[in-house]
Amino acid sequence: MVEYFEQSQLQSNEVVLSVQNLTKVFKGKKPFTAVDDISFELRRGEILGLLGPNGAGKTTTIQMLLSTLASTHGRITYFGKDFSEDRSEILQQVAFASAYINFPWRLKVKENLDVYGRLYGLDSNTRKHRMEKFLRLFDAWELREKEVSALSAGQKTRVMLAKAFLTHPQILLLDEPTASLDPDIADEVIQFILKQREEFNLSILFTSHNMAEVAEVCDRVMFLREGKILAIDTPDQLAKSVSVARVQLLVGDGLKRTIEYAQQHSLPYKLESRSIEIEVDELRIAAFLSGLAQKGVEYSQISINKPTLEDYFLQFSRGDFLKKTGNLVSSYSLDGGGR
Amino acid sequence: MKLHRVMAIVMRHLYLYSRSYDRLTDSIYWPVMDIVVWGITSQWLMKSQNAIPNLALMILTGLVFWQIVWRANYEISVNLLEEFWNQNLVNLFATPLRVSEWIAAVMALGFIKMLFTASVGIIAVWLMYALNIFTVGWMIIPFFALLLMSGWFMGFLGAAVIIYYGQRVQTLAWTMGFLFAPFSAVYYPLESLPGWVQNIAQWLPTTYVFEGMRAILFRGEMPVDMLVKSLALNVMYLILSLAFFVFMFRKSREKGLARLE
Repeated sequence: MVEYFEQSQLQSNEVVLSVQNLTKVFKGKKPFTAVDDISFELRRGEILGLLGPNGAGKTTTIQMLLSTLASTHGRITYFGKDFSEDRSEILQQVAFASAYINFPWRLKVKENLDVYGRLYGLDSNTRKHRMEKFLRLFDAWELREKEVSALSAGQKTRVMLAKAFLTHPQILLLDEPTASLDPDIADEVIQFILKQREEFNLSILFTSHNMAEVAEVCDRVMFLREGKILAIDTPDQLAKSVSVARVQLLVGDGLKRTIEYAQQHSLPYKLESRSIEIEVDELRIAAFLSGLAQKGVEYSQISINKPTLEDYFLQFSRGDFLKKTGNLVSSYSLDGGGR
Repeated sequence: MKLHRVMAIVMRHLYLYSRSYDRLTDSIYWPVMDIVVWGITSQWLMKSQNAIPNLALMILTGLVFWQIVWRANYEISVNLLEEFWNQNLVNLFATPLRVSEWIAAVMALGFIKMLFTASVGIIAVWLMYALNIFTVGWMIIPFFALLLMSGWFMGFLGAAVIIYYGQRVQTLAWTMGFLFAPFSAVYYPLESLPGWVQNIAQWLPTTYVFEGMRAILFRGEMPVDMLVKSLALNVMYLILSLAFFVFMFRKSREKGLARLE
């Protein structure tokens, strides 16, 4: 552990990954732009979330950052070095883990990790030592003699994470690392990742569909849609940008009138027994409650839920973000990341 | 090129061989079965015609020699396909591994498997028919080296197409070698072939190895000129096939390696 990331104990604001005007156009009869001129930076010790609906360009971006997909245009720089020129040297410091990538399934867990250790030039003793350390850490030590084909999805993910940390990377690209994990193990993994970042200034690019997890883990979140960056900001700031709150009422008398009121004012709502949750603009909550009172609606409980990152994601993914916020989008784009 | 990364890929496949019964049996079962069938056939031909001396040795040596070409060729394509089947291609090429290191590793694996299969074949021929393929003498070593090179270039030719088009053309792993077999004069003299086949055959390095083998068996001559021709063609084809593979790998990377899994 002591030698782990000795090199990374540098100044914390250092840019370790810089992406400039990265573009991917898939050629064909109908050329398709999967990633459209994106630019962003990852700093040492930072966890940057990569979010967006399906087809937004997240996986394409990660593939280009790993060189398993060639970019059409743009420049990727790790630690100040051009990725296209120093690929092997750079990838020595970068690790990748995804819940959706497999291991050779007829090899045992320990054989797989041995191969990966060799690929990164770890000597025999270091491979054995780290294999035990990280397999134990991810509660997978007992799996070492098993073939990968015999592992469950969750077990595979834990081994994949052990593999990612085996080489003591300075940058981690994690594609949904907690998918298919039980909640308690997922939480342990997240806590471990946060600890590594804290202790070793590890920089992480992180994708997940679990918004609560992203909000907890990420320092900044980058939203992609149709290959473009629409926003980069802290999870809190992005959530705050959503003006819609969710007002939950346990209605005693006047449920039908409440629904009519919501429909008249085009307010989205969800109904469950006598409980109704209505999306209301934060600035109009008082007027909304006053309107219900005028209709004679009586409720025994009320809770007003502030917008979360998930609300932002949903609003943004539904496509009404641009219509509602217009040029606000550009004001969220920091560090030259947005367009 | 880093040796530890080449070794990593070699170990990845050696671990697999140790418990992959299909990969082990195809190194033993098929060569032995071929030797049984062709050995019996050639012995029968010798009894019924009694015209061609050393017929059984010629056919069985051709068979063992062809197994070397086939094994080296097959190992390259199938080792690539193994990464597709295991969804491991992205895993591998997201590491510092270079294409040149992967190439070196599969060539080494082809060599290891060739030694294994050739040994199995030579021992089987000796045990079953009391025929010694080492009758060819020390010349067997350059023969093996030339056949190995031929297998490599055929393998990279197939792998180049597979790395771009993926599993839909995976049958090339099994068929590519056989495309060259009829033109290589494996079991019969070159002059027995039709003119147009001879025209093609003279451009194949394998032809000169098999013709050379027969020259030793029948005339006891060491066909240095044939070996030189074979070496020149092998070097040329190997360089071209490697360049083709690297080109197709890059073209495939433009579309994304993940699509192949």
